[in-house]
Amino acid sequence: MSVFDLRGGCVALGGREVLHDVDVRVEPGEFVAVLGANGSGKTTLVRTLVGLVPLSSGSLEVFGTPLSRFREWPRLGYVPQRLAVGGGVPSTVREVVASGRIGRTRRLRRMGRADREAVEHALGDVGLTDRADDPVATLSGGQQQRVLIARALAGEPEVLVLDEPTAGVDADSQDTLAGALGHLSQAGGSVVLVAHELGPLAELIGRAVVLGGGRVLSDGPPPEPEGHHAHPSHVHVHPHESAAPAARPVLDPRTF
Amino acid sequence: MDIFDFAFMQRALVAAVLVGAAAPAIGTFLVQRRLALMGDGIGHIALTGVALGFLLETAPVLTAVVVAIAGAVTIELIRERGRTSGDVALALLFYGGIAGGVLLIGLSPGGSSTTLVGYLFGSLSSVRPGDLAVIAALSVAVVGVVLVFGRELYAVCMDEEVARVSGLPVRFLNILVAVTAAVTVTVAMRVVGLLLVSALMVVPVATAQQLTRSFRATLLGACLVGVLASVGGLVTAFYGDVAPGAATVVLALAGFLVAALLAQARRRVAA
Repeated sequence: MSVFDLRGGCVALGGREVLHDVDVRVEPGEFVAVLGANGSGKTTLVRTLVGLVPLSSGSLEVFGTPLSRFREWPRLGYVPQRLAVGGGVPSTVREVVASGRIGRTRRLRRMGRADREAVEHALGDVGLTDRADDPVATLSGGQQQRVLIARALAGEPEVLVLDEPTAGVDADSQDTLAGALGHLSQAGGSVVLVAHELGPLAELIGRAVVLGGGRVLSDGPPPEPEGHHAHPSHVHVHPHESAAPAARPVLDPRTF
Repeated sequence: MDIFDFAFMQRALVAAVLVGAAAPAIGTFLVQRRLALMGDGIGHIALTGVALGFLLETAPVLTAVVVAIAGAVTIELIRERGRTSGDVALALLFYGGIAGGVLLIGLSPGGSSTTLVGYLFGSLSSVRPGDLAVIAALSVAVVGVVLVFGRELYAVCMDEEVARVSGLPVRFLNILVAVTAAVTVTVAMRVVGLLLVSALMVVPVATAQQLTRSFRATLLGACLVGVLASVGGLVTAFYGDVAPGAATVVLALAGFLVAALLAQARRRVAA
């Protein structure tokens, strides 16, 4: 059963068709990058997959269920493209991350132990445990992006869909992000992300869907890494991994 | 002369406590989603409702609730469509509400614009026992909505799209916020007046967040500030012979000033 199965997907925004006859299927455990130039339809594609943009024609199944009948939303995690965590009232990092748990909590029930543990785990995964009680507005842009990802992770999704999670994010945060997504992937989760430049994520990518002009140009192994990331001596150090050493084999992009 | 010697003041005090707590509770969610002026828009629309009550010779509070809810839901639907930007939609309703109110009151038997003044600026001392029951019930309903749906409302006001992907009934929750805000406006109308209603929903939130770090603390702090301001305003009005609505809002603003100065001093110490 596929995580996402989009067939002949067409999407029109404001009367203009921006996705034409797109077929994309994501299997459990896959780590898929959606690549392409500005305006190629990357963001629209992932927004379509999570049900935020309606199809004008074609079909979409999520975990084997047609989207219109899909109700198991907690299996999905979504990280939109945001420059900062929004809102006119202060929130602590923990409050924002805990709000990602909303799909798994019941009305009028307090958050239980499993909920609190998931929140703490998500905070740890993005290396923000020590900032949990700080107002989110006092964090840097890269740290706020990590908060948004922790919010999605707190819901313990089976698939995480991210729109440009690395845009404008400092190198440290990119490495932390790569670590967190690597953990999710290791645990059997699927990841679909839109990216402009892959940076430290490159080594995690199993498949790349390249869009151009609203169509799928290619779908297959990711493009060869370029620049210093391709250099054999390039070593990634993920800050929080030293604290909790996981038996995680580093994926080598050359094996793909 | 003691403030508790008068039955009307006892009722007014109870109403002030209820409204002082309820208005900032829903106001916190409006500020969170940057709709601080929504209360003003609803207040203007409610004026049409008040005038309609005089025209139909029924209770103005009742027609005000109905019209305010209709207006608030309209604002929400316009905002959701995203065709007209939220602030223009609000502006249209502001002017329509005031113009409609003045127009209708002129048509109603024995009514004139001066009839509306009590609603525009509040007349807490005219709260009758029956009014108090209505105010109490509606305040409890507002606080109840925040208690029952607070977590979901927070998620929706934080990030509507993520809330949608989480499977929350986003439209229902948005309309719930709008309706709750409309009810709050009509409840607070008697205490501070339609023109100052929004102040009681927003100023305590702005005051509290000068000193808080979390959403929860802001919400609770804002309710406390709201109660202090409305009770303080009433007491000031009683002894100083000034308008209670104005006294309440001036007190709340003074509180904001003090909190802002405290926050600044704290930042200096920290730096």
